[in-house]
Order: sequence, then structure tokens, then C-alpha cells
Amino acid sequence: MKQLFHSVSLISEKCIGCTKCLMNCPVEAIRVKNGKAVIYNEKCIDCGECIKVCPYGAHISIKNSMDDIQRYKKKIAIPSVTLYSQFGKNVEPDVINEGLLKLGFDEVFDITFSCDIASETLKKDLERVEKPAISTLCPTVVRLVETEYPSLVGHLVKMLTPIEISALIIREKYQGMGYKNEDIGIFFLTPCPSWVTKISEISKNENIRINGAIPISDIYPKLLKHIKAKEEDKINHISRTGLMWAYSGGQCRAIGIENSIAVDGIKNVIKVLSDVENGRLDDIDYIEVMACSNGCVGGLLLVENPYNAERITRHINSKIDFTYQIHDFSDIESKLVSDEEIDEQKDNQKFSTNFENAVKMIKIMNKVINMLPGTDCGLCGSPSCKAFAEDVAKGLASLKDCKFLNEGGLKGEG
Amino acid sequence: MEELLSVKYDIVSGDFIRGGEASSNLKKLLNQLGIRSDIVKRICVACYEAEMNIVIHSVGGYIEAKIYNDKIEITAYDYGPGIPNIELAMQEGYSTASDVAREMGFGGGMGLPNIKRSSDEFYIKSEVGKFTEIKIIIYFN
Ligand SMILES: Nc1ncnc2c1ncn2[C@@H]1O[C@H](COP(=O)(O)OP(=O)(O)O)[C@@H](O)[C@H]1O
Ligand code: SF4
Ligand code: SF4
Ligand SMILES: [Mg+2]
Repeated sequence: MKQLFHSVSLISEKCIGCTKCLMNCPVEAIRVKNGKAVIYNEKCIDCGECIKVCPYGAHISIKNSMDDIQRYKKKIAIPSVTLYSQFGKNVEPDVINEGLLKLGFDEVFDITFSCDIASETLKKDLERVEKPAISTLCPTVVRLVETEYPSLVGHLVKMLTPIEISALIIREKYQGMGYKNEDIGIFFLTPCPSWVTKISEISKNENIRINGAIPISDIYPKLLKHIKAKEEDKINHISRTGLMWAYSGGQCRAIGIENSIAVDGIKNVIKVLSDVENGRLDDIDYIEVMACSNGCVGGLLLVENPYNAERITRHINSKIDFTYQIHDFSDIESKLVSDEEIDEQKDNQKFSTNFENAVKMIKIMNKVINMLPGTDCGLCGSPSCKAFAEDVAKGLASLKDCKFLNEGGLKGEG
Repeated sequence: MEELLSVKYDIVSGDFIRGGEASSNLKKLLNQLGIRSDIVKRICVACYEAEMNIVIHSVGGYIEAKIYNDKIEITAYDYGPGIPNIELAMQEGYSTASDVAREMGFGGGMGLPNIKRSSDEFYIKSEVGKFTEIKIIIYFN
């Protein structure tokens, strides 16, 4: 299988094989083999649940640091909109951006501009996909759909993400000023590991290459030193609609889609995607789907809690009466047509490319399921008896691994 | 020709919480078999509606799916109360669902018509006081 880069990974030395992550991974991407957790990359959706639950800090997110920006002549930061919700309600975005300049960036790009462009591309795309349209801002959700709900791929909007749009604009600007592409260092200040992974994918296209992703939680302490509360009555250098993208429901509001729902938190997402698959939600126009609680403000690599972060964003927003008026985005669109054909090969549920083989394997799986106690003890290293049976059928586990079968459970077998 | 695989799920009347599990499980199986995703979607819709009809309108029953080389055959059977007028029940928008079910977004009267639309072959039989049986066939290509 194709080796995929994933931000979420495991430090084997720290893992004691406790099975906590095993039981909490929403897509059963983890196994314990020889006493150590293993992440199946083709299944992992970078949701970060395993990082949250691991008591030993064995699950980590691969990321960049501020040192990495030094390699470039021009250093540009694209902060996630969530950054502005991390310093309390009396710190205005300008102060935070100035802080970033003091930390060594030459420019802080206003991502709310790209959010407003993305809103327009989204409106246009709503008509083109199957109903209900499903949002694609959260890379974890996109990966979840591709791997677990392949029949819903036709519902995904092909919106350009604000991060890609920003990278394109920045690269064009600095190239126009005479900089070589390799001298332009663009860094996303990320709320989650999911975007770290996504960036490594989109950077294969050198026009929108992003050179790294720095967790907001990592720059937070450094940034804090440069921040002073300074409350303004009016803020007008950042877009109100753009800033809304930070929390759950914000996209729907920014775009003004009435007949929509906003879903947040990975478990809820899974429930709602199943409902879509069953045809229960066909009369909804748009579903905003975000893996984290309350949307991106719930990102794992943030500091403030998601609910207070929303309050802070709303407070800042109440002082902005500015929105970018985007009339024509065809130029950006033509350069950014997401050529990433969503390939169904990412569908990892298929047992075999050969139908008869798949049937055979499923028969083996069903036989094994009937032998197991159904207690989901996890001692075999698979997250449930069902998953174990599937692993045996796929040749990824052996019946010998089951403690139940080897402590007398087999006696009953004729 | 004999089926390659068959699965059977019992459906409990009034269980809205677990209602939908049969179609979820069937979906997983079809994905494991590598059935084309647009076909999985059609099967999902048909199975879910049939499942929910048993949950909402009947005293309970089962769903059985038989998988052949080229098709799936799904039987949704329940033990009553049966449908007095099938022609009427098949009409779009016709529903006898309770207000509670309607509140939950069920009872739009589109279930049976959608099952029929999603399937390549559709058969329905019912006897008041005895049973309702829906049989559908969907081909894999
Ligand atoms: N399994 C069943 N047993 C008894 N009555 C049924 C069954 N399935 C459907 N019906 C009847 O047919 C009507 C139409 O069904 P359907 O098209 O699924 O709409 P809905 O379920 O939204 O009412 C139902 O309201 C009910 O009166
Ligand atoms: S990041 Fe999420 S999907 Fe990936 S292994 Fe961890 S819990 Fe599972
Ligand atoms: S909801 Fe936002 S923060 Fe969370 S994984 Fe998705 S993109 Fe990242
Ligand atoms: Mg119905």
C-alpha cells in the first residue's frame, strides 16, 4: 500500500501498549503489535484523538518550528483564523499580527481575505454537487469521507480552501517582486495536526507550496510576550465574514445558507454522515462538517477552550463592519482548479480487488466472529472482536493472538 | 443459483435508537466486497427505508440480504399488522405515521416510493393481521 505522510505518529519508545488509543480511535486505525501501538496510515484520518488520550505522550504530531522559517529570504505567516481567539477578548488582531512580525516573519497574510474568496467559490459549487453538499474545510472530514464513506464523495464541495488561496496569492506576489520560489517561505499557523498532513499533500503543487505548519500552541508562549491588551472601538483591517470561519456554524452564516446544518466533533460527524448515506438528509442544502468540538476553535493545537474561543471571536466580530467584496475570483479559480481527482482508491474498506477473494475473506471473517466472545477486550491488539476477525481474514492477525480462544475457548469447537 | 453470502438482521419495533443498524452493517459489508459506491448508496437508501418501516409501522421483523455474483436481493419481512391498501401506501406523500415519528423527520410518506426508485426490481406483499414482505433486487453493474 502507498506510504502516506501523516502528521499524527507514534514514538514507540514511549508506548507501553496500554490500548487506550486503540479503543478511542474513531476509525479503528490503531493496533497493538508486540506490545506497541501501530497506526495504519491508510486508515488514519489525523483527528488527533489518540494524542488526546495517550497518558504517556507517545502519540505526537509532526510539525515545524520557528527555526524552520530562517531558511527563507522572505518569511510569510498564514495564521489560521482561530489564532485571533486565543488571547482574550481585549486583544485585537492587529496586535497579534505585530507580535508575529516581531517573532521574525516579514509579512502576516490576512487569511480572512481568502476566507471571503473561498465563500464565493463555495456558493458557486453548491449547485454542482449532490445534495446535501458537504464542506471540505476540515481535512480530517475529507479523509473520513474518502476512506469510510466513499459513496458520499460526490457530495463534497470542491471549494478552494483559504489556506491554498492564500499560498497562491503570496507566491504570485513575491515572484512578481523578483523572488525565486525557493526563497519564499510560507508557514501556516495551524490549529490541528490534520492541516499539517494536508499541507504536505497540497505542497506537491509548487504554485501553492506551503513550507511548513507551526502549531499555534507552540508559538503561543513566544507570542504572548509581545501582546498587550488594546481595545479598539472599531476594527477594519480584517473581514467579519472571514473571521466567522473559526467556529462551528460560522461558514453557514458567512455564506448565508439558511437551509443548512453545522456538525462538530468527530463522533457527531460519523453519525451525520451515516444519515446522509441513508438518504435521510436529502432536503438539506449544505452541511458544515468539522471534526473538532465547535469547529476549528476546538483544534488540538490551540490553547483556549473552544467555547470561550467562540465568545472571543464573536466579541471581536462585533467591532468589525468590514467584509471583502469579492466580485471576480475566476483568475484564482483557474489557477487552483483542484486537480486532485478524489480517488476512490483511498477507500480502504475493500478486502480485495477481486470479488471472489473478498467473498472468501468475508466468510472467514464471519466464521471467526462466531468463535469470539464479543467482549472487545483488546488484548489481541485489535480494537474489537469484529476488527480482530477482519484482521484475521486479511492476514494481519492470527487466531493465536486471541487470549479467549487460547484459554479454553476452543474446547467448545467441534 | 445459490447465493455467495447471506446476512440476516432482526429488527425491533419502536427502537429508533438502533434503527438503522442493519443498513449500516450491510453498507460495511458491501464496501468490504468492493461494490461500486453509487450502487452501495442505492442499496443503503432502500435498506434503511425498509428497516425504518419495520421499526415504525410493524410489530417487528427482520431484514435478510443475499449476495450473488451480480446482484443483491434484500427481503424485509415483518409480522404485521400488514398494509390494507398497498396501492395507496405506495403513493408519494401517503403516510399513517404518528406525530411523534413525524417530529423525528420520519413519516414523509416517501419511504416506499424511494425503495422502489432505488431498486431494479421491487415486490411487495402484505396480508392484514399477518405480515408485510418487501423484496428488492439491485444489480451490481
Ligand atoms: N412494514 C409496514 N407495515 C405496515 N404498514 C406499513 C409498512 N411499511 C409501510 N407501511 C404503510 O405505508 C405507509 C407509507 O410508507 P412510507 O412510504 O415508507 O412512508 P412513511 O413511512 O413515511 O409513512 C406508511 O405510513 C404505513 O401506513
Ligand atoms: S489520529 Fe485519529 S484516526 Fe489517526 S490513529 Fe489517531 S485516533 Fe486514529
Ligand atoms: S475541525 Fe478544524 S481544527 Fe479540527 S481537525 Fe478539522 S480543520 Fe483541524
Ligand atoms: Mg417509511
